[in-house]
Amino acid sequence: MKKRLSMLLAAALMLSLALTGCGNGRDAGTTSDAPETNSTAPVQSQAAEPTGGFEAGATIGVSLPWLGTQNWKEADEMFKTQLEAAGFNVIVQAADNKVPQQQQQIEAMIQNGAKVIVVGPIDGSQLGAVLEEAKAAGIYVIGYDRLLENTTGVDGVVQFGSIKTGELQAQALLDGLKEKKGDGPYNIELFGGGPADPNAPNFFTGAMSVLQPKIDDGTLVVVSGQTDFTQCATIDWDNSKAQARMDSLLSGFYSDKEVHGVLSPNDGIARAIITASEQAGQEIPVVSGLDAENESVEWVWSGRQYSTVAKPTDVLVGKTVEIIKSLQAGNGMPAADVSVNNGKIDVPVYELPPVVVTKDNAKEAFANDPGRLELLK
Amino acid sequence: MDDSLILQMREITKVFPGVRALDGVTLKVRRGEIHSICGENGAGKSTLMKVLSGVYPYGSYEGQIIYMGKEAMFKNIKESEHAGIVIIHQELTMIPELSIAENIFMGNEVVKNGLIDWDAARQRTVELLERVGLNLDPDTPIKNLGVGQQQLVEIAKALSKNVKLLILDEPTSALNEADSANLLELMRGLKSKDITCIMISHKLNEIAAISDAVTVIRDGRTVETYAVEAGHVDEDRIIRSMVGRSIENRYPAHEPHPGEVVFEVSGWRVEDPNIPGRMVCKDSSFFVRAGEIVGFAGLMGAGRTELMRSLFGHNYGIFRGGSIRLKGRELHIPTVSAAIEAGIAYVPEDRKTLGLNLIDNIRMTIVSANLKAILRGGLLDFDKELQAAEQHRESLKIKAHSVDVGVTTLSGGNQQKVVLGKWMFTEPEVLILDEPTRGIDVGAKYEIYRLIHELADLGKAVILVSSELPELLGMSDRIYTIFEGSITGVLDSKDADQEKLMRLMTNSSAAKPA
Amino acid sequence: MKQIKQVLGGELRKYTMVIALVALILIFHIASGGKMITPSNFQNLLSGNAYVLILAIGMLMVIVIGQIDLSVGSVSGFCGMVMALTATNLNWPWWAAVLCGLGIGVLIGAWQGFWVAKLGIPGFITTLGGMMIFRGGVIWISKSISVPAPAELKWFGAGYLPEWGPSFTGMNNSTLLLGIIAIAALAFMQLRKHKRTSELKGGNEPLWPVVTRIILGAVVIGYLTWLFGSGRPGTSFPIPGLILVILVIIYHTITQRTRFGRHIYAVGGNKSAAALSGVNVKKTYFLTMLNMSFLAALAGIMFVGRSTAAGPSDGNGWELDAIASVYIGGAAVSGGVGTIMATMVGGMVMAVLNSGLMLMGVGADKTQVIKGLVLLAAVAFDVYNKQPGHVSITKRLFSTKDSAAKEGSPAAKES
Repeated sequence: MKKRLSMLLAAALMLSLALTGCGNGRDAGTTSDAPETNSTAPVQSQAAEPTGGFEAGATIGVSLPWLGTQNWKEADEMFKTQLEAAGFNVIVQAADNKVPQQQQQIEAMIQNGAKVIVVGPIDGSQLGAVLEEAKAAGIYVIGYDRLLENTTGVDGVVQFGSIKTGELQAQALLDGLKEKKGDGPYNIELFGGGPADPNAPNFFTGAMSVLQPKIDDGTLVVVSGQTDFTQCATIDWDNSKAQARMDSLLSGFYSDKEVHGVLSPNDGIARAIITASEQAGQEIPVVSGLDAENESVEWVWSGRQYSTVAKPTDVLVGKTVEIIKSLQAGNGMPAADVSVNNGKIDVPVYELPPVVVTKDNAKEAFANDPGRLELLK
Repeated sequence: MDDSLILQMREITKVFPGVRALDGVTLKVRRGEIHSICGENGAGKSTLMKVLSGVYPYGSYEGQIIYMGKEAMFKNIKESEHAGIVIIHQELTMIPELSIAENIFMGNEVVKNGLIDWDAARQRTVELLERVGLNLDPDTPIKNLGVGQQQLVEIAKALSKNVKLLILDEPTSALNEADSANLLELMRGLKSKDITCIMISHKLNEIAAISDAVTVIRDGRTVETYAVEAGHVDEDRIIRSMVGRSIENRYPAHEPHPGEVVFEVSGWRVEDPNIPGRMVCKDSSFFVRAGEIVGFAGLMGAGRTELMRSLFGHNYGIFRGGSIRLKGRELHIPTVSAAIEAGIAYVPEDRKTLGLNLIDNIRMTIVSANLKAILRGGLLDFDKELQAAEQHRESLKIKAHSVDVGVTTLSGGNQQKVVLGKWMFTEPEVLILDEPTRGIDVGAKYEIYRLIHELADLGKAVILVSSELPELLGMSDRIYTIFEGSITGVLDSKDADQEKLMRLMTNSSAAKPA
Repeated sequence: MKQIKQVLGGELRKYTMVIALVALILIFHIASGGKMITPSNFQNLLSGNAYVLILAIGMLMVIVIGQIDLSVGSVSGFCGMVMALTATNLNWPWWAAVLCGLGIGVLIGAWQGFWVAKLGIPGFITTLGGMMIFRGGVIWISKSISVPAPAELKWFGAGYLPEWGPSFTGMNNSTLLLGIIAIAALAFMQLRKHKRTSELKGGNEPLWPVVTRIILGAVVIGYLTWLFGSGRPGTSFPIPGLILVILVIIYHTITQRTRFGRHIYAVGGNKSAAALSGVNVKKTYFLTMLNMSFLAALAGIMFVGRSTAAGPSDGNGWELDAIASVYIGGAAVSGGVGTIMATMVGGMVMAVLNSGLMLMGVGADKTQVIKGLVLLAAVAFDVYNKQPGHVSITKRLFSTKDSAAKEGSPAAKES
């Protein structure tokens, strides 16, 4: 018995040597079924150059930061269904908000012979070496929802215009204040998103481009005086941190004042702000949002949260899939809307328009979204 | 069936992988007697008791246990305790931070309506403490008690469980003479209350003092059992049975050759690290000649160990003054490594907590106090290490089949030899031995004594600290006595006897040494 | 079977985890359809986990002295950020920035060592404080924004050895050279050891186990050399892997062959006994804690090199990965037990699990669950093996009856 076990072990070892010993030469690339490297394609150059395309059933990798919010969960499902429907072999993985994990997942996708890797980065600037490795293996890299910075290993980025989103959030806040809180001046507070996400400062910049003139002319008063992005940022987009900050703002500055409005960068933080205000005995302020999460759609419908901005995940995923299909057909990257410098190179960016949702236009905004329409009852 | 027997263990055999720890042991204990079990370390005494108490459950051994007329099949300690068998282990098992009452009723709480009834528990604790002759507040934390009192509380705890058969494993090994006497007295009292006691002990004088019967075990077998009359026990007969040979003299003969004074301490003063202002060494001065064995006698807590450890690189307490001279040169040794460097070695009293790293094997232990000696090009040289270890294994007759054996697997005597080896490897001029034979059996003691003589013959200055006065008288050339931190006298061992020593150890008004 | 024992040198038990690791690699290789044992995946395994393994080296020493360091992740993040900021914002040359980052690591280590050694604060508490202090510090100095790192650093975090020489070798010649050096070193050391043992024992030691050992070692090293060297042109044995190997050699020597190393084990095994043997316990604590933070700084900087930027959440949770590696490697929670080599194997078990599950497309959620189970299983296995009365599983696999009978269990002897 004992002898047999050790014999088995020895046999397994021999087998492994045999398995790996064959068909794995220096020039065969990474793995036996690795991409037959687009050695003809000039992989260094950016986008738009027609290439030979690849076979219809090729592997597509999708690396998402995590599945902790609704939009990422939706993206996870939509990528799977839409890419599978198009006949691709899909790997979708989420990295639990850990950068090293995401780096290793992307490497595993390279290993798995992906032709295109879609990356929704945790930190857009920390994937440089890995993405360059993907490029070197002849893989197309598409940034999803967030800009990929500080690397040459990116072919294009699909996202909603983040400056534009910020502007829309601020405008909705102003409209809401006028509608709900009578004439000014209004007391407001500002919240930013997770600083590691390159979109967060852009949201804030966009919003401030609308709000700053009103602050200057006295219509808006930021009672705490905290108007700098680093002061307002919410690390990791963590709702509980936002709520803690709101609690302390309310107890520190609003013991004898009413807070009329709060700029919130997304829905989770918006709900945290509203909860904190209610607990402090404040009348619910006008709060902006983003992402049209189910919970917030209900809150908008019931009037607790004034607005949210829908960045319909299906549109974003749809655009990404469209690019992948174009690459597969050999038509290269489609023409981009704008080009943004990411610190190393100019990256083509496909910008999609976001939609502001308030109680008034909710039914129209979600006309094509039966799931969310269901919530408006 | 013999009704007078409370316990019969018949043909008990317990096998561990590769070792036959018990081989057909038979033990008969009469109701209401004090029955002593003796035997060398490793003879199988503790294993036998573990079989009896269900630590090794029924089925894991062969043989039969008849207890109170019925065959006992204990699966765990809980069951044996339920039947009235309680073991008090060598290492006390109480929780220092909890009170006496909490400890006594630990796992056996007095419960009323689902809650612990502390009033009832306290009440019963007071009664139990009275039975063992303690007059203490049941809320006193265990850590505030002395070892002797803790031992008594353990017995009170056993009484709370309605004990019928009380097993004491080396009960006096950590106690001083007064506490030991007290404990033995208590055992006699229990006997009159129809509680049977089994005592495992090395101390022949205690066995002789109180036993009604003695069973000797050697190499996992019963050698002999016989009834004795307390106070009239033939110690030599027990020793013969234990070691399988007669030991003519418990202390080997030795002709001292003292030379010049090599080690001289004067005006040594040390303050207690925990209680500010209390001095544990009060102006101590003494000297040791080359090749001389100097004993230190004192009761528990007199400050013998404290003095020795503070001499050894200020390892204990706060140094408040004094000087050490070695071969006429004044030493400055504020750290242990400096002390070792200077040629002083200290073999601590407690092997397991102070002497050994129980994870190590013999090889690593032998060199651990003198790693410098096995360096080669700045790195440890394993060949030198092996050589050193083998050499000491041989010269000290350490019983182990290889120097790679872990020290935990060795018997107490062999562990102590390893510790001695470790300090001999530092090539000291002065060797301080603190209770070098505590908890080891007669045979191993004899070998240790011979080693001590060899060291003295090599011209080392040897300091021997011991609680056993016969040992000091048998081994030392001169004996200093300590009482409450002061040296109260020095006697030539030729002129000394136990009585004289005891007088100096308890009476600080005795003459100071010259 | 006795021959196997002679070749491997005594205790077979210590090879249990190695066998588990090899088995794991093979299982994943088959389950992923041949994607596990490939040049690029092995390169990734080293590049992607070097930082954790480097932390694990320091953590092993900390755990051996009976302490724990919870701050390593934060210290890594902090030092990486200091390095990135000095290089990018102060325009220091990259090497000066790296030295600065490492220097800060040493200072932090001295700070932690001070609290543990001089004031006797338990390492758990000291470093829990450090964890918060330096996490806050990273966010503070970076203003929560990622900072790009100098391009040269990418070489440390994700670089490869140069290509040179003839192409007929079919592999990266730097890697080939490394492999040859490794085999030569192995043969030299084994032969020297054999020569000295036989001198010691009178010249009757058989030579064949040594030769077999060298041949086996050469085959394994040769295979690995070929595996690492035959990847895509431009790749080789990765630089982070090389740094790791050098560190492992250095720290293996420190822990096994120096007085300081012995002192670490002595202090962890029995502090009082160590103090009475002349070991300076405080100094040992201090240096071990200091070393941990230094290695944390190095790991952080290498990670920044691989990421091309230092981020505010760098290092989050790394301490736990390092601690897990150490415990899977068989170290004792109570201190005094554990080796660098076993820790590296433990770390590789985690790394291979991670990589294999990703290759199979298993999500991060399930990966976490599996890693947790493996940690428990590995430690439980170890505890089971060490319990008296149990014959170890490896022994059951390999031993014959008589050897089991010879080595009695410690429980058989009385204390």
